[in-house]
Amino acid sequence: MQGALTPPILSGPSQSAVSNQALMPTASQASNVAPQPSKTFSSSGPLPGKTKPTPVRRMRRIIAEDPEWSLAIVPLLTELCIQHIVKNFQKNPILKQLLPEHQKKVLSHLSPDLPLAVTANLIEDENYWRRCCMQRWPVCHVAKHGGSWKHMFFERYLENLLKHFIPGTTDPSIILDLLPLCANYVRRIRVDQFLPPVQLPASLQTRELSDSGSEVESEEPTMDHYQLGDLVAGLKHLEELDLVYGVKDCGMNFEWNLFLFTYRDCHSLAATIKACHTLKIFRLTRSKVDDEKARILIRSLLNHPGLEELDLSHNLIGDRGARAAAKLLSHSHLRVLNLANNQVRGPGAQSLAHALAHNTNLVSLNLRLNCLEDEGGQALAHALQTNKCLTTLNLGGNELSEPTATLLAQVLAINTTLTSLNLSCNHIGLDGGKQLLEGMSDNKTLLEFDLRLSDISQESEYLIGQALHANREAARQRALNPGYLMSPIIANVPGNSVE
Amino acid sequence: MNPSGSMGVLEQTEEERLSTPNLEPSVYSDDPQERIQARRLRIAARLEARRREALGEYIDGKKESEEDQSKSYKQKEESRLKLSKLLLCGTELVTNIQVAADIREIHRRVEEEEIKRQRIEKLENEVKNSQDKFDEITTKWEEGKRKHIPQDLWEILNTQQLHCAGLIEDKNKLINELQQELKVKDDQYVKDLKKQSDDICLLLERMEEQVKDIMKSFRQELSHIEKAFELERQELLASNKKKWERALQNHNSKELEYLINRIKKVEDYEKQLNRQRIWDCEEYNMIKIKLEQDVQILEQQLQQMKATYQLNQEKLEYNFQVLKKRDEESTVIKSQQKRKINRLHDVLNNLRLKYAKQVKQFQEENHSLTSEYKRLVLQFKEIQRAMRHFAIIDDEKFREIWLMNEEEAKGLISRAFDVDRIIHIQHLGLPWTEPDFWFLKNVGPISQQQQKTATQIVEEVLKQADEEGLEEGTSESSYLDLPKQISAKTTRKILMLLCDESGFLIESKLLSILLPLEKNECYLLRLDAIFSALGIESEEDLYKLVKFFLEYRAHHLSASQISPWTQANLERSSLMSALERMSLMSTSGFEKSLMSDWDLEQEQEAESLLEGEEESSVGGEQEEEEAPPSPKLIHPNEVLKVLEAFVMGLRKPRNFRAPVRMTKSKRDNSKDSEYWKALATVIPSSTQNLWDALYTALEKYHLVLTQRAKLLTENNSLEQQNSELQLLLQQYLHSKINSELQIPPTHVFRVPTK
Repeated sequence: MQGALTPPILSGPSQSAVSNQALMPTASQASNVAPQPSKTFSSSGPLPGKTKPTPVRRMRRIIAEDPEWSLAIVPLLTELCIQHIVKNFQKNPILKQLLPEHQKKVLSHLSPDLPLAVTANLIEDENYWRRCCMQRWPVCHVAKHGGSWKHMFFERYLENLLKHFIPGTTDPSIILDLLPLCANYVRRIRVDQFLPPVQLPASLQTRELSDSGSEVESEEPTMDHYQLGDLVAGLKHLEELDLVYGVKDCGMNFEWNLFLFTYRDCHSLAATIKACHTLKIFRLTRSKVDDEKARILIRSLLNHPGLEELDLSHNLIGDRGARAAAKLLSHSHLRVLNLANNQVRGPGAQSLAHALAHNTNLVSLNLRLNCLEDEGGQALAHALQTNKCLTTLNLGGNELSEPTATLLAQVLAINTTLTSLNLSCNHIGLDGGKQLLEGMSDNKTLLEFDLRLSDISQESEYLIGQALHANREAARQRALNPGYLMSPIIANVPGNSVE
Repeated sequence: MNPSGSMGVLEQTEEERLSTPNLEPSVYSDDPQERIQARRLRIAARLEARRREALGEYIDGKKESEEDQSKSYKQKEESRLKLSKLLLCGTELVTNIQVAADIREIHRRVEEEEIKRQRIEKLENEVKNSQDKFDEITTKWEEGKRKHIPQDLWEILNTQQLHCAGLIEDKNKLINELQQELKVKDDQYVKDLKKQSDDICLLLERMEEQVKDIMKSFRQELSHIEKAFELERQELLASNKKKWERALQNHNSKELEYLINRIKKVEDYEKQLNRQRIWDCEEYNMIKIKLEQDVQILEQQLQQMKATYQLNQEKLEYNFQVLKKRDEESTVIKSQQKRKINRLHDVLNNLRLKYAKQVKQFQEENHSLTSEYKRLVLQFKEIQRAMRHFAIIDDEKFREIWLMNEEEAKGLISRAFDVDRIIHIQHLGLPWTEPDFWFLKNVGPISQQQQKTATQIVEEVLKQADEEGLEEGTSESSYLDLPKQISAKTTRKILMLLCDESGFLIESKLLSILLPLEKNECYLLRLDAIFSALGIESEEDLYKLVKFFLEYRAHHLSASQISPWTQANLERSSLMSALERMSLMSTSGFEKSLMSDWDLEQEQEAESLLEGEEESSVGGEQEEEEAPPSPKLIHPNEVLKVLEAFVMGLRKPRNFRAPVRMTKSKRDNSKDSEYWKALATVIPSSTQNLWDALYTALEKYHLVLTQRAKLLTENNSLEQQNSELQLLLQQYLHSKINSELQIPPTHVFRVPTK
């Protein structure tokens, strides 16, 4: 108003009346415009104020009679409203209607113990969920849960529920009730134990009461674990499934019964993963999966649209299971296959090698602690001569010996994709080590080559280490400036190694 | 600090390296090892060169900065290498545990397998042994059954018991062993658990240690790097400071110099300013004086200008007054003129109104007059039509009357001729020839014969010409209608000529149609077309044309030396005269015919007497007509000229046609009287005299004949009386009484007849 009115005053009497008239409308416009913001403020004020107008008034009245009353002590109305909202959030959750700043305040004061039914779909704020997580678990790796605290909270919450679910005694509705709340936020389920139907203490108690009856019951029907079918079908964004059918930390209470992966479990799991099209990573470890069960699972995974990683390590898979896995390689987009610590032998390795020879998807293959022996090792080496995709291969602890080493040395000279190779805990021998060293001298891509405890002379191991170091430096330079293939430092190092 | 120097050193060393192998191992050496060495070096050198080429600029660009930071860079590289090695070692150290566990596991598996195999072997052996023992025992049972002596049986039973106990013992031992093994395994399990926990503890320890070490080393390296950087920074600072100081010194000295220069300059400028001030003062005074003088002059001028201004003002005021007055006058005049204009406008408007009224009036008048005129014209036309109608009716009536009279006259004439013939043949015994007169063949009024169209005439002419070719001279009497002096031949020739020469007047379509027709028909149609083009309609025109041709020829022959223009004029004039002559002729002809109307009856009476004389006169006339000279052929080239002249001439008389027609509708009566007179005198007077004489003689002859007739009748009556008497006699004779008689009367009669 003032700004608009000043120019005529400054211009003084010399200015004609016309200019005054011309300026008048602008002034009136300014006066029209000015009240609006104040109105908006006032309108925003009453909204939260309406919820509790009377106590404020009463307070004011009381304090007004107080001789020590001063304006500084009186909290703002918005502040009071926010406090009230926080207090009654469980009954009357108001959040979306508030201004962003007020939202922030409300969220910062909410207690993390609020029921999930209220908070799950309402609150997106990461800080709140961070507080929730920090309160429940001392160690939190957000990076493992896609960087989202909310995801982390729900995933871990669900995992906890699953871990402590006892079929038959725990109510399955606990998990299914949570399903609508967490369906949007759960990307992966990582459960490292499934309790069998009758838990150990319970069974002990029952044993005390009636030994024979409990034995009959526990042995006969209900060794099945929790059926994941309903849960997984409800999770729309599930990408990772990491399961262990077994009991954790059993210690001296060990019983074979605790580690039973029954056929019913297997079938239901197979149906579950077949129905889940969003699944990318499937891990089933330490669960006594034998050939038959592996075949059932892998059959359900054939032609799965999204699966990228399959981990069946620490199981009892033999050659037939390996053959099924080989079939899966050619019928899916699998990128990572882990069959570590199984019972795969020569024939299984041969079928895997056959599938690997023309595969263009698989990046990593782990066959650690199997029994491939030279038969399987040679087959795999032959497959690597044609494969142009595999970067990581782990053949540790497979009783390989010199013939495989010679073939692998030839492969190393040719192959340009392999970056990591593990041959530890084999019987490669001195000559094999020398041949591998020769193969390494022509290779520029391999960055890791594990040959520990494989009966190689220290000299060749050292030289291979040198070559690897050179390769690593080269790779580093490539990563730093992709335009230039070499740099002076690299050029010097291989020069030394060659000399 | 000195990158070029270091690079130079590097290059020198490289050069040395490159040059020394060139001296020592040669590619052409005998020793293969040496050759290989040489080749390798060569390849390395090439690679080096290529790399330098590729990275030449890059290195050059970065060289300085890299060498500037050489210390820190070196430190960084060193620490990086150290740390990476450390990391590698650390991970190796940590993973060593896993690898150790792996290998242990493998060993365990191998051992387990071995133990398993041994156990199974053992068990199998055991089973075999126990089976053998069992078999032994069972066989002994058989033996025992055969024993009947109680001592033996007892012994056997004892031994059996012993054996069984041994077997059970063996089994128990085995079970114990297995249980022992199980216990050992349990122990092993516990140990393994412990071992694993130890391993994990170790792993954790190592990891922690590793983390600590790495943290430490990272910190150390960081401090090293920082130190290096600090050092470098200090060096840099020192050098920069030195530079700065040097620059400052330079700056100070320069500043001093500038200051001195400046002071000098200031002094100079001050001097100059003083000089300038003095000069300016002088100049100012000068100008001031000048300007004051100017001011005085200007003031004077101003006074003068003021005076003139006042004068002019007065003048102008006077002029203004005058002009005002004039203006008033002019306004008065203007108003007057305006009024006048208004008045005149009124007048003009009135006049316009009047004019419009008059125009309307006259238009109405004009309308009424035109309508009246139209009415009159219509009336006139009706009258004309009526007149024409009446004329036609009159003509018809006249013709009918004529025909009636003629018929009557002809009847009379034929009777007269019959009579004459009878007289000649029967009474006089002379041969009689029928007189042949032109008027005898005439039917209807004479003037009607002349109104044939030109084409008809032509047709006739052509036909007759054809006939002429066949039977010459026999039927020439039919040319009576042709004008004298012109024969059919000449006309025909002229027409043929015309036809050939003026083919351009005929339409091309017509020509194409004419091709298949006969020659004569072809000519006829052509001529028809030509005549229509030339405007020749009636017979008269045709004759005029023919005549014109003839005259033209004659004229041409006589006046061949006259130029064609004058000739054409002459022709035209001659043609005019000819035409006038012809029209005159026709009128005179009419008069004649009118005159001859009255003596028609007379003629009929004199017919019978004058027939002989007529014959001869008619023949004379025919001979005269035959006279026309056959004209020489007109040259075809001249035909067109003649035609042109003719058409020009023909147009004039046509204009006079309308009034002439009226007169022409009156019949030509001049010949009528002649005709009727001729009809009357068809029997010449000599014959009439003859007839008179004959009449008297015949009357006498008649008397004689009448007397004879009387006598004949008397004779006849007598004969009749005789025959009647005979009949009566006959009747008497044949009556019945006769027969009754003795002698019939018939006998009587017969006898006399014999």
